[in-house]
Amino acid sequence: MLQQLLAIIIIVSFLVRLFKQKKKNQITPNEFFIWLIFWLIALIAIIFLKQIDTLVADLGFSGTGINILVYLAVLALIYLVFRMRLNIAKMEKNISELNQALTLKK
Amino acid sequence: MKITTVIPAYNEADNIGGVIVKLKSYVDEIIVVDDSSRDNTNEIARMAGAVVVRHVINRGQGAALRTGTQLALDRGADIIIHFDADDQFQAEDIPEMLAPIRNGSADAVLGSRFLTKKSNLPKMKQYFIMPLARFINRLLFNIKLSDPQSGFRALSRTSAQKLKIENDGMAHCTEIIHKLFKNGDRVVEVPITVIYHEFGQKFSGGFKIIKDMIIQKLIK
Repeated sequence: MLQQLLAIIIIVSFLVRLFKQKKKNQITPNEFFIWLIFWLIALIAIIFLKQIDTLVADLGFSGTGINILVYLAVLALIYLVFRMRLNIAKMEKNISELNQALTLKK
Repeated sequence: MKITTVIPAYNEADNIGGVIVKLKSYVDEIIVVDDSSRDNTNEIARMAGAVVVRHVINRGQGAALRTGTQLALDRGADIIIHFDADDQFQAEDIPEMLAPIRNGSADAVLGSRFLTKKSNLPKMKQYFIMPLARFINRLLFNIKLSDPQSGFRALSRTSAQKLKIENDGMAHCTEIIHKLFKNGDRVVEVPITVIYHEFGQKFSGGFKIIKDMIIQKLIK
């Protein structure tokens, strides 16, 4: 129960921070929307952890709901890192093209 | 026929002057792409008589080759030679590299360290890294070459125009070989001698090449 409460406080603090960033125009509407959905899903999952436990057991898994949430979070993080790596590679490519254009223009 | 040599250079102040002097009698123009060196590579290359352009920021050998090849094409090169700045390739090999393009039997010529001429290749490279690279080339691209990682190459103008180098780092070498075949160029290998002053690319570099090739595919 205490762990659940701590998780909820952390998620709410992230949500507050997200709204502040949106207010200051530090993130794009798309980014705001994606992170809002992400934290809301996390919040709902933490609040209804007992029901998720039951659901996981009904599906035939031996672990608890929190285990499944952690597995999903790790998968989501791996995917995010992968996307980020591709974005960096695209940016690197653009920088190289710009670099070449500047070099040949002189 | 205008023969242009493109030399990517990064912190090569110790070697670049000598390399340019040795090349002068074999080619019409020497282009040095200074990849944002922190030493005086730029000034030495200029004083030695090369056309020098400087990258604003360091982007790697592949990026420097791309810039240099484009500049060579813009300046009317008929044959473009890619040459290293570290004084390991031999300028005397250039006539043999040019011959197949000059006589119309090839569009691209790749220097090979594993044919008749002798190179002082480190044993690790000769017996482990290169056979592995050769195997990967055959496995992934169905390309059979004696030297899978040679940076000494000559390209006809049409071949260079078709070649779009996308890898900034060391993966450009594998990429160029793959694209030459993919573009339908007639590729031949010519024996060259390479005098090694240092080991060069390590085994871990091979993994980085594979990783860079995969990422390049994914961001297309």
